[in-house]
Formats: sequence, structure tokens, C-alpha cells
Amino acid sequence: MLTNTENIIEVRGLKKAFDQNMVLKDINFAVKKEEKVVIIGPSGGGKSTLLRCLNHLDGNYTGDVLFKGQNLGQLSKKELQLCRRKMGMVFQQFNLFPHKSVLENITFAPVKLKLMSEAEAIANAHDLLKQVGLDEKAKAYPQSLSGGQQQRVAIVRSLAMQPEVMLFDEPTSALDPEMVGEVLGVMERLAKTGMTMVIVTHEMDFAQQIADKVLFMDNGHVADIGTPDYLFNHSKNFRTRTFLAKVM
Amino acid sequence: MFDFLGQYYPVFIQGAAQTVVISLIGICIGILLGLVVVAMNLSKFKPFSWLAKTYIAIVRGTPAMIQVMLIYYVLSKALPIPDIRFLGSSLDRVIPGSIALGVNSGAYTAEIFRSGIMSIAVGQTEAGISLGLSENTTLFSVVMPQAVRNILPAMGNEFISLIKESSVLFYIGVQEVTAQALGVGGTLYNFIPPLLVAAAIYFVLTFVLSQLLQLAENRMGRKYLALN
Repeated sequence: MLTNTENIIEVRGLKKAFDQNMVLKDINFAVKKEEKVVIIGPSGGGKSTLLRCLNHLDGNYTGDVLFKGQNLGQLSKKELQLCRRKMGMVFQQFNLFPHKSVLENITFAPVKLKLMSEAEAIANAHDLLKQVGLDEKAKAYPQSLSGGQQQRVAIVRSLAMQPEVMLFDEPTSALDPEMVGEVLGVMERLAKTGMTMVIVTHEMDFAQQIADKVLFMDNGHVADIGTPDYLFNHSKNFRTRTFLAKVM
Repeated sequence: MFDFLGQYYPVFIQGAAQTVVISLIGICIGILLGLVVVAMNLSKFKPFSWLAKTYIAIVRGTPAMIQVMLIYYVLSKALPIPDIRFLGSSLDRVIPGSIALGVNSGAYTAEIFRSGIMSIAVGQTEAGISLGLSENTTLFSVVMPQAVRNILPAMGNEFISLIKESSVLFYIGVQEVTAQALGVGGTLYNFIPPLLVAAAIYFVLTFVLSQLLQLAENRMGRKYLALN
């Protein structure tokens, strides 16, 4: 089958079941370099599961997930690890390492994987922390930070690996409302740098504003796909319109 | 009642030292073995996992005394350990004995490690993996350091048990503190006072250990919880 190398991520015929329950039913889509793809849809529709298949965090699927032309399902453990370095992931629950300071959280993986020296990693971490306005928290431990601060650190931790694509799994869903803005702000600035991004979110205004392409997922299918303008304003799809009417 | 101590205190000191030595070796072997076994147990390679589960089941399901004797008799045939005196006992008894304590303890520490690993949210592993770290690096650098803090109380229990159970090495002729107390009792035709002394020595050892563990717990906790 022809592989378009311009696609950073390509998903072909992806199916996944938990026991008897089919959660992903034949998903096909691609993410091009610098593209921002936003995945929306009702809870339980398979959005997070799909995202977790993109870096093979969930492995038991059928079909193909390709990262820069490499079929993740056919890679060795080592090769898969090399791919994951290039795919940053931000989680709903932040998942910072509580036993490491903010700085150590950020420098740990790049140093451990010998991508840079410790001095370089520290300098890089301070640089990135400044960009999200948290450099003064470098020595703090995650538990002393607010949710919004933790999530900004989590984003920085992923960026420190110098990824080629960033995956966001409902990055603001666990935040108090007043902290959502600061995280979305960081993501917006990241988008402007040309980062390729795949974002699962319930923030519809944000989706509309940042996306090049929106996937509406429902019941394990990509039920609707298109530009934000099409999907939010012109879609004739009944399920898309019902969903949007409920959330907007 | 304790007049005999004036004459016999060196014997008790020697026995206590022997108990400390065999317990320390046992604890160290137990921890190392526990780490290996828990990694095998959680491994996706099934034969490793079966092996680990079998080891745990056998060690937990049989008396420590029989394990010690079996290991002693097997090792004394298989390994030519020189008959060197060490704290009143021969090394060809001390070494197999401490190994047996470690082999016994390893099964329990492996299970304690497993409970610690399970106590850490799966998100921590996912965060490590998604940064491109290997599963082993994630386990040993991300999950374990957090798990250790959660398992310190259970580990403390295990270490304390091990110190007390090290008295089973009496049966293979290691002159640890219980053996020495019985020896003194035989000489005096009165076992109660020397056994009371031995009990007091065990109590002091375990009490000091539990205080040290408490200290460790406080220090580790302060790092990332007291900042709240």
C-alpha cells in the first residue's frame, strides 16, 4: 500500500475492542506536518482510546498506525521507543512524577536517554519553563503546584524531548475552570510555532479556533470530519449537530 | 538472677553480633532477590512469571526451618566452604544459613514490591513510556522510587520478622543469640534468665531498626508531601 511520507501520522482501518466491546470501528485519517487535528465527540466515543493508539500506548488493535511511514505495530521495542520520543503526550491527569522536582521532571528523560548532557537539559528546561511562565517553580515539587501549573509543566516535559508531534488527551478536563485558560494559552502559542498537534478536547471554542481539521467521533466511528468551519457551521450530519447543540 | 552475665556477657555479645550479621546478609539478599523476582513476576514473558510465582508459592508454603536445613545440606555438599571460625560459628554454616534467610525473605519482599508497584497509578508508567523510556527504566526510575515510600512500613515488618526468624539458624549450628542463650542455659541448668536476655537483645535490635525506618519514612515523605 502506498504510504504518504508527508503524513506524520496515518491511521488505516484501525479497530480495537475491549473484550466484546468494539471501541474503535475502522478508523482512517492522517495528520500532516504542522497540522492541528482536534478530536471531539461524546464521552465513551473512543477519542482517548484512538489517541492512545497513536503512540502505541494501547497496543492491542488491528489495522495500521504509521508514524512517519513506520508501522508501529511491526516495530521492535527499541524502534517503538525511538518513535515515542518523537511523539509527546499530555495527559488529562498531568502524570508528573511526584518524587521529582519540576526541573527533574523535565530533564529526566532527555538525560536518561542521552539526548543531551545534564547541563544542556537544565538550560533547555529553564528556557522552556520561562516560555510558560513557570521558571520560578523549577525547584518546586509537583504537589505544591496548581493543576494549571502542573499541566503546563507536563507540556514542557514533553517538549523537552523535542517531539515532532504532540498528542493531548483532554488536557484541560481535570482543571478548575479558572485554570483552563492558562493551559489553552500555552497550547495556542505552541500551535503558532508550527508544532504538529492532535488534541482530544471538550473545549469547543478552542477547537474551532486552533484546528485545521476536526474529527467528530461517536460510538467508535469517525462520524464526521472536516474544517472547523464545515463541522461547526455547515455539517449536515445529524449526530454532529445533535452533539454540538448539546455542548455549545 | 542475672549474675551470670558478669561471666557470660561476651557470649551474648558474640551471639548478638552473629544475629546482626546473618540478618543483614539475609535482608540484602532478600531485597535483591525480591527485585529480580518482582520484575520476573510482572514480566510479559510468561515463563519468567511462572517461575517467580512458583518460587513465591513454595517459599511461602513451606516452613522456614525446613528451607534452612535443605539449603544448608544441599549447599554444604555443593559448595566447598572452608571451615573458618566467625563469631563462634563456622563459615560453612553461616554462609548457607544467611543465604537461606535471604531466599526465604526474597519471596515476601517480592510480594511487598508488587504491592508497592500496584499502589502507583498507571498514569506514571504511561508518562514514562510515552517519553520514550523503556519499560524497565520506567519501572526502576519512576515507579519504584515512589513505591518504596509506600512499602516502607511493610518492609519494616519483613525486616523485623527476619531478625527474629534468624533464630532458626540455631538448627544448623549457627551460634546466633538464641543458640548462645540456650548454651548458657544448659551450663546454668536454668534456661529462663538467658532466654530473657536473648529476648531483650532481639527487642533492642528490632526497636532500633523500626526507629531507623521511621526516620527514613519521614525523610522520604518530607521531600514531596510536606510541601503541600
